[in-house]
Amino acid sequence: MKKRVISMVLAGVMALSLCACGGSAAEAPAPATEAPAAEEEAPAQEETEAEAPAAEEEAPAAEEASSEPITLNMWCIATESDSNRHSYEAAIADMQAAHPEVTLNWEAFENESYKTKIKAAVSADEMPDIFFTWSCAFLGDFVQAGKVYCLDDVYQNYKDELPVVMLGNSTYEGKHYGVPLTMNIVGLFANMDLLKEAGYDEIPGTYEDFIKCCDDLKAKGITPFGCAGKETWCVTEYLESIIEKSIGAEELNNVFVNGATWNNQGIAQAVDTFQEMIKKEYFDPAGIGLTNDEVKANFMAGKYAFYMNGTWNCADFAANEEFKDKVKVAEFPVIDSSKAKLGQLIGGPSDTLAVAASSPNAERAADYAMELGKLICHYGYLDGCGLPAWTPYGDTSSVNPLTQTVSEIVANADSMVLFGDTAMTADDAQVYLSYVDQVYGSAIDGAGFIEGLASDLR
Amino acid sequence: MQLEERYTLKKSNPAVKVLVYILLVIWAFINIFPIYFMFTFSLKSNEEIFGENVVGLPREWLFSNYVSAMNTGNMGLYFVNSVLVTTVSIFISLAAAMMATYAITRIKWKGANFTNSFFMLGLTIPLQASIVPVYVILSKLHWLNHYSTLIIPYSAFTLSMSILICTGFMVDIPYDLDEAARIDGCGLWGTFGRIIVPLLKPAYATIGIYAFLQCWNEFMFANVFISDSAHRTLPVGIKALSGAYTTDWGPIGAALVIATFPTLIVYIFLCRKIQDSFIAGAVKG
Amino acid sequence: MWKVFDMADKKTIKRKTDFKKGLDIFLFLLPAILLFVGILIAPIAVSLYRSLQKWNGFSPGTFIGFKNYKDLFTSGSINWMTSLKNALIIAFFSVFVQLPFSLLLALLLGRKYKGERFFLTVYFMPVLISTVVIGQLWLKIYNPDYGILNRALAALGLADWQHVWVGDPKTALGSVVVPTIWQYVGYHMLLMYAGVKGVSPDLREAAMLDGATNWQVDRYVVIPVIKPIIRTSVIFAVTGSLKTYDLVRIITNAGPTHKTEVPSTLLEDMLFLRNRYGMGSTISVMLIILCFAFALAITAAFKEKEY
Repeated sequence: MKKRVISMVLAGVMALSLCACGGSAAEAPAPATEAPAAEEEAPAQEETEAEAPAAEEEAPAAEEASSEPITLNMWCIATESDSNRHSYEAAIADMQAAHPEVTLNWEAFENESYKTKIKAAVSADEMPDIFFTWSCAFLGDFVQAGKVYCLDDVYQNYKDELPVVMLGNSTYEGKHYGVPLTMNIVGLFANMDLLKEAGYDEIPGTYEDFIKCCDDLKAKGITPFGCAGKETWCVTEYLESIIEKSIGAEELNNVFVNGATWNNQGIAQAVDTFQEMIKKEYFDPAGIGLTNDEVKANFMAGKYAFYMNGTWNCADFAANEEFKDKVKVAEFPVIDSSKAKLGQLIGGPSDTLAVAASSPNAERAADYAMELGKLICHYGYLDGCGLPAWTPYGDTSSVNPLTQTVSEIVANADSMVLFGDTAMTADDAQVYLSYVDQVYGSAIDGAGFIEGLASDLR
Repeated sequence: MQLEERYTLKKSNPAVKVLVYILLVIWAFINIFPIYFMFTFSLKSNEEIFGENVVGLPREWLFSNYVSAMNTGNMGLYFVNSVLVTTVSIFISLAAAMMATYAITRIKWKGANFTNSFFMLGLTIPLQASIVPVYVILSKLHWLNHYSTLIIPYSAFTLSMSILICTGFMVDIPYDLDEAARIDGCGLWGTFGRIIVPLLKPAYATIGIYAFLQCWNEFMFANVFISDSAHRTLPVGIKALSGAYTTDWGPIGAALVIATFPTLIVYIFLCRKIQDSFIAGAVKG
Repeated sequence: MWKVFDMADKKTIKRKTDFKKGLDIFLFLLPAILLFVGILIAPIAVSLYRSLQKWNGFSPGTFIGFKNYKDLFTSGSINWMTSLKNALIIAFFSVFVQLPFSLLLALLLGRKYKGERFFLTVYFMPVLISTVVIGQLWLKIYNPDYGILNRALAALGLADWQHVWVGDPKTALGSVVVPTIWQYVGYHMLLMYAGVKGVSPDLREAAMLDGATNWQVDRYVVIPVIKPIIRTSVIFAVTGSLKTYDLVRIITNAGPTHKTEVPSTLLEDMLFLRNRYGMGSTISVMLIILCFAFALAITAAFKEKEY
């Protein structure tokens, strides 16, 4: 079991084509040398077991400069009640044991207000040595302003453990600026108790069956979906999946990051499909006035059959004694099989660590961030907070079954498109979210959506 | 205060009186309810808060919410920080406002009116717009992550209002007192220190309440300017109790109770004084 | 301009040398001026400067003249006009509902009802409670499934009137206005009550002896006396409404589809979410101008009516 999961994830990583951010970013080809390692299970295992000595070997090389004691500051969003907290604590404890000469002062801030904080800090050149950031556009603005330290040199020491495809979202003009942590995709979570009431033992795999399942659920008086309208990113989790499964990953990715026009009939139709589902009352009409916390609580209380959201929820669902046996996760079915296929997912590595260019110890901070990122990723995966962007190592059998299912989905993935609001520049993302908001509120239809975005964004 | 005891209601129609009482009591209930809500909220689980039992008493009294708020968030320290920052800010704002108001209202000079208008400009400034410029200034001065990093901006942001309130009180002090003090040989500073400051006592409460409300709940400056948790204040500490995708609301409720109840208790003890000082300030309106 | 606040009928203080006096004035003003210029005026200057630029907050900015100001009023996707309209609606309700109600309470309590102090204390409490709590409470009231409001409507047989209050474009603004107004009734009431109590009892008695009813006394004796307080309250209510922020963020988060956007939420989005610092600065300059203009207009309006 253990070995299977590892190879699955590895194979998945190899097969993926992740979107790259920043128009001119070079598409990173998967290094051919790693492919054999992924195919054979045993060597993969060996490689990870050999990881510890490898780290020791690196140490002397860097030691000339790094024996001197230094203090590094780090900001992140792993607050005490965040599900990532434990992985940060464990990783930092490991780092402190391995590098007693580095004192790490780290502070955690609340997610939304952190965005204000880090932007103000970048404006005032007050960034800490290492900071948490979201990949693609969020980090891109800082990179463009020359505030972020380039990690190309340091990456050479870690390229065996961190597949270069995973750096796509933090690569700008061919240079790497971010250490990816865990990654997540959009999952279709289902409450199997409710599905059973409607006569289903599994989450339907085809769109026709899926729609029929929704109708059957409605007939039983069960609301199929809950979606938080007060937090637009929750709506995009549904809408982007529906669009992707209608027009295919490549076309969607071109629209999100490569400047293809929004004026795309396929998108308009997908939006209409989504609104059709709203019209048929598949969605809880109250959702439009709810926050994600409320919708999630409703889902866990058995109010909705399905809940589409990020796979970071796996940890929470699995931790709830009552709920964990009821819930399953799957991929949204294909709507138009002539264009899309299973394995085309929404998501990718977004959580990232970056190093400030202004840091007096930037080089050592970069090295530290890499190693720390690897550990956070490792523990985060074990905790079920997401999938590893780094090659997993060690015993991963304790990973919860939901996250394991997600690993399998990712392992069989064909391609991934990053969340639209992460992929687009900050300003475009807000315009986009505002249109998504209008779609969910049925203020505009598919045609209005594509026309509005085409004229407002390009 | 005694004079007013003399008049009483005449010709009061009992029906009207009952109606008025009903109105007053209903309104009182509406205003007390949030406190009950906050208290019960702080003892519930997410399941109860989100739907199962919104307004009732907690089914399970989760005092553990308080434990986790105190332990995970270090609320005790944040509370002390908040008290410190708020108290000193109020003090500075009050002192600077009294001095400035004295110069504006009780010394005759050409620019007094203009200076007053200038200070009133402060009432119009949106906080959000000053975050980055003030941050840049503080950063250039290497003045981040201290208590004073918050105290100075807070004092500045409450200054306009403090001056406005002070003006109201100060013009009520008879000018003969200044004259008398001067005859006794007091200079401007002596008059200020011996006559004005003691006579302004009623203004302290009015300004104090206003400044307290501004500083105690302030989040945006505190979030951006303070990066080490040793100097964190309550609003930021409470916010940090929510995770990126999951939030346990019970401990947040507990933290909010910890942040609010001391204020309420102090207020209840001091309310008579506070109300009297409001009245004193308004005697001449 | 703000003379009105400066009601002092100043008497000359015996002159020392002009220099000594000037120095003293300067020293008296120094702390306030330092705080004020350093923390408040410098940012206004920066905002003015940035408002003429296209700037994302980190990279070098480009000077674009008044284009931001033009865009603010012409570009529909910025929602400035919506936010302004909402702020004015809130200001309207604040002035014409909140303040009269505060005044009514102040006048009633001024008549020495039993338990006056108790009511006074209780009515002020919401002001002391964190906006987060107030916001959460109202979200529970509005909740479409288990909210008190919808349940009450159902119980009264008015199920047709049920709404997804904060999510329905028709009711969203209203659901923000109500708590915003409610929270500060106590504050204005206390200010006004103080004024009512300050009215000389002799004046009251004289009017009563002339056969005036309570309402007539309030109307013709008390209200004219506390007019300056009412004016101050109106200025607070209006400038406060223009800068409304907290409850909007918590209750509707400016949604649905920006229907409840207010200038401060828009400002924050531009500055920190959309990386349009230049445009954000433009909004803050506009807000300052608006607040100041309203304060002047209100002052002027009260002056005319005074005689």
